[in-house]
Parts: sequence; structure tokens; C-alpha cells
Amino acid sequence: MKVSELAQKTGLTAINDYKDREIESVYISDMVSDMVASARPNSVVVTLQTHKSLIASANLVAAAMIVIVNGRKPSEDVVALANRTGIGLFSYDLDAWAFAKKLVKLGIE
Amino acid sequence: MDPCTTHDWSICNVRHGYLVEESCFECGGRLSFFSAEPVPPIEEYREGHHFWAYDASFQTVKFDLKCRACGRIVNLNDVNGLMLSECTDSDCQVGALVRHQGPDSLVYVAVCPNTTHSTGKCVSSEGIDALNQFFMAKLAPLGRKVTVVPCKLCNRIDKCRGTSIADFGLTDIL
Repeated sequence: MKVSELAQKTGLTAINDYKDREIESVYISDMVSDMVASARPNSVVVTLQTHKSLIASANLVAAAMIVIVNGRKPSEDVVALANRTGIGLFSYDLDAWAFAKKLVKLGIE
Repeated sequence: MDPCTTHDWSICNVRHGYLVEESCFECGGRLSFFSAEPVPPIEEYREGHHFWAYDASFQTVKFDLKCRACGRIVNLNDVNGLMLSECTDSDCQVGALVRHQGPDSLVYVAVCPNTTHSTGKCVSSEGIDALNQFFMAKLAPLGRKVTVVPCKLCNRIDKCRGTSIADFGLTDIL
């Protein structure tokens, strides 16, 4: 499933211009160092973090998209860095568990 | 296993703990170390002419790299963190790399434990090579590039402009 299709099916709000890549896995974490060690390429990273280090980490693991939960929004410099990397940056109004359940329903595990 | 020319790196020996930062009252130098203790140490201590005092600690994850093909392991104990460089210093080698990077490329600095480099040590070239190969294996298929360099290339790493991949403020994100 492509980033855009997942965003549409789960009700995500796009924050930036992104490359519409194929999703292959999911990683949920609020630790950026943990993401570098554990997230896989072309993954959906689900997190509460909005700091610029989030993009610096997601770029290293070639994440396809980042979903920031609880309706949190990143600052402009974070969005600008995400634009450079092509990683999709999205906001979700509910918590990580609610988003995880949507992913499972779509067959993404 | 036979040694290979193009390693297929994967992460191994994942360690969870804290990155503790200290500074010296005497010389203003800074160092950091990894602690796997449940509570990071905060004691002050004297070491030669230095007097080290606790500055801060962050939760972090450390790891080594292992080649799936030949089994070789590169120990990354001398990497205490990575920083996305936004250096604008015209006299800095890292700044030069940042200025000349392409639109699909980013420069990361691998930060060693003792950024004063008073011992002459920094992140090993073996570690830098392995990190570059590991990250580029993920990014090259996307047409993207990262360059990882050791912090000894920075004019002044403690003053360098960039974004550290550090888990600070985890208790106040809400």
C-alpha cells in the first residue's frame, strides 16, 4: 500500500509534500535513538515526538512516512527538513493505539 | 566465513541505557559516556587536571554492526551519538561538506565520547565506513545519500550547529 492510500484510509492529515512510496512495515516509538536501531526501510513510524531529531532519525532508516499522534503538529523547520528527505509527515488526532488498530484492520502488521 | 568486499551490515548487540554528558570546571572540556545502569551516575570527580561535573543525561540506544555475509562485527562503542549537521562555518571541513551536498544528501557527524580529542582518539575509520555502508544500503535505492563523518573533522563540535539524535525531554513531551 502506498503512503497516500494509507493516509486516505486512516484519516491522516498531510503536513508536507512527500514522495508516495510503498509501505513495508510499521514501527511505533517515542525514542529517536530506538528508531535508528530498530525501524526498517519504507516503514510507517508512529510517534508522539515532533522534534527535528525525529526527521534526522527517520531519514537514516529510510522511513516512508511519519505519523504524529494526539493531534500534535511539528514546527516549520521540522516540516522543511521532512520536505528535503521526501518522508511523508502526517498528523493523527487520536493516540498511537487507535492508529495501530486501524493499521491492523487494513492488514498492515 | 570468508571475508567479503561489500558487507551486508545489520544491527547487533543493541544496548539500552543513558548517554551522560559532563563538563570540566577547569578547562571547559566536555565528554560523554554510555551508562547501562538503571539510574545514570551524577557524581563529580577529579581526573588528572580535570574536574568533571554532571551536565545532563538522555535515554539512548547503542548498537554494533555485523555483516550478514562474512560475520564480521564492527564495535561502535566509540560512537556516542549522531548529529545531523547544519554547519555554516566557512573554515570547517564538515561545513564544507554541508555546503557542497546535493539536494538529496545530508551530512551526519558521529560524535565520540571525548570531544576535546585530547587523547587524539575519535570514532574509528572502520566504524565510520561501516555506518556509511549501513545507512547507504537503505538510502541508495531511493536515490538519497548520507555522509557520516567523525567529529574530529568539526572545528568545534561543542559549538557546531546541528540536530542531535538524542532522546531529551521525554518526561515533558506532554
